Amino acid sequence: MTLLKTRGRSPLQAAGSGELEKATEKRNRRTYLALLIPGLLGLLVSFVFPLAYMVRMSFNKGAPDGVIEETFTFDTYLQPLTDPYYWKVTLDTFQMGVTVGLLCVLVSYPVALFLARSQSKYRGLLLAIAIAPLLTSAVVRTYGWMVILGTNGLINSSLTGMGLIDTPLKLTNNITGVTIGLVEIFMPYAILAMISGFGRLSPQLEEAAGSLGASKAKIFARVTLPLSLPGILTAFLLVFVLSISTFITPRLLGGGSVQVLATEIYDQTTGLLNWPFAAALSVILLVLFGLIIAVYQRLTRKIGG
Amino acid sequence: MKVTNKGKFAALAAISVSALVLTGCGGGSTPAANDSPDSGEVNLIAYSGVWQDQYTAAVIEPFKAKYPNIKINFSSKRSSAEMLSALQGQKNSPATDVAIMDNSVSTTGNKQGLFEKVDAAGVPNLANVPDDFKNKDGFGPVVMLDAVGLLYDTAAFPKAPDSWDVLWDPAYAGKINVNAPPSLLGLSLTAITSKMEGEDYTQGIDKAVARLKELAPAVQTFAPNPDEYQNVITGQTVLGLGQNARGQFYSDQSNKKMGVTFPKEGTVYQINTVNLVKDAPHAAAAKTFIDYSLSAEAQTAFAKALFYAPSVNNADLPADVKDRVVPTDGSLNIIPLDVDFLSSARDKWTDTWKREIITK
Repeated sequence: MTLLKTRGRSPLQAAGSGELEKATEKRNRRTYLALLIPGLLGLLVSFVFPLAYMVRMSFNKGAPDGVIEETFTFDTYLQPLTDPYYWKVTLDTFQMGVTVGLLCVLVSYPVALFLARSQSKYRGLLLAIAIAPLLTSAVVRTYGWMVILGTNGLINSSLTGMGLIDTPLKLTNNITGVTIGLVEIFMPYAILAMISGFGRLSPQLEEAAGSLGASKAKIFARVTLPLSLPGILTAFLLVFVLSISTFITPRLLGGGSVQVLATEIYDQTTGLLNWPFAAALSVILLVLFGLIIAVYQRLTRKIGG
Repeated sequence: MKVTNKGKFAALAAISVSALVLTGCGGGSTPAANDSPDSGEVNLIAYSGVWQDQYTAAVIEPFKAKYPNIKINFSSKRSSAEMLSALQGQKNSPATDVAIMDNSVSTTGNKQGLFEKVDAAGVPNLANVPDDFKNKDGFGPVVMLDAVGLLYDTAAFPKAPDSWDVLWDPAYAGKINVNAPPSLLGLSLTAITSKMEGEDYTQGIDKAVARLKELAPAVQTFAPNPDEYQNVITGQTVLGLGQNARGQFYSDQSNKKMGVTFPKEGTVYQINTVNLVKDAPHAAAAKTFIDYSLSAEAQTAFAKALFYAPSVNNADLPADVKDRVVPTDGSLNIIPLDVDFLSSARDKWTDTWKREIITK
């Protein structure tokens, strides 16, 4: 680096300007650091301290009705780790994350691919339309799905009206409803993540493959899909992470029958007031998050070459 | 040069820290200098939604007209448990003065030292509260009563069902909403079913669980949204569990599309107490408010607005309102739900519902 910078100058000049550069760099670093302090302090107060408080809370002992005994026990961790019920809740949470992630990628991929390759002058507008649902709160969209999927909702009344079904389909208050809602709610995130991950996708490569005699299906399978894989994987991870931590949709569309880690944490916090246990469940969820992201990053790096 | 840089660094850091402190890292409660029985403010924590709207119109607004120098700040919560949680968080520097919450939860608050005792010296209207509705240790008294009712679609049931057994009728499978514990409605249904099965719920709920397991597949939702009343009104379900007071209110609102009834096997009271927070920053004004909440005027107004039964013996309700609030004269079959027992059973019953009763 230094060699490059000093090329074409005399050694004396180089030494002098090098020191000057170092001093400037040092000064700049201090300014950057000073400018970073508000953000870092904000992060410390709003994220690091609460997180540390939560971790500490998870080692306390919870008693009925919200009494918290300040102590240091692993019981709060032992209970969910040794209880098959919580293993099932964890497994269900992950199953939901994977299903929603896969379906979301599946329905978002064609949209993202179209938007990424579009030459239309309306591309910006189309992109804005694709991500416009983000302007509405997830709560409102979840309520929208309740109206559509309910017993007397749009789908059931249409099917009943057409004489296709006699009894309404159970599309809500179960995992089906939650999955449908989550896939739609997370689609804009998946589309955005994919578009930003399609960097290496180039029409020239597809044309080259075509000129060498590859069929459209072959071009897609051998060129388009492999090159868009980083975008697909990023979108899947994003949707998976958002799904396993989401609370509103499983709560509203699950009708109390869908028990995932987030709803369990909510019940323990606000219904049963067992904060230490809720904190322990949150830490477990956080550790699982970390592990998955670490494994996933390795995988993505491997695939990305 | 170096000194200047260091100076800049220090100045920027100092600005950052002070900005952060100024923007809300301070915290702590401020002692109320202007607190007196007829001036200052009262920070009230109570239920949200229609309860808040009706209580504001029927009680808080007339209170403000009577005591123009007392300001009421209403902090609403969806449940008593959430209120308790907020009060626990403020234990070392209370910011709330008065809490209106469920009896089972306020009993816990009393045990945890979150509330202050009240007496007739500070709250003269306490004299009109019958002994049964006073706390035996002198803490906040009952301020209103209600009970769990059976909600029904009046189109499906021209005559109100008279037994809880209707929930198990296969004709209504898939058209029932039940709030699962920790909701008080779910806990109450557990106690009601236990009684129907001839069981003493304090000894065990095995028979009730077996019966509720039979009910579970017929339940459309265990967490009705937007709430249990709208589910029936909009025709999503035809039967449900709800509070009588809100049920009566929404029955009127929906032009009698939904009805609410007390089945013959009995029901469980839902009792709210009014509580003075320990070390409340505005204790003097708070006592004035508590006293007003126990006045015949406030109790009658709220009974007319939201059909809660008064807890004072000098409230005179019009006949059409009296017929619709929960009777407190012993004429209704009430299943006692012991609050001390409930505080220890809430966890277990919630767990049992999640593991054994609620089906996917």
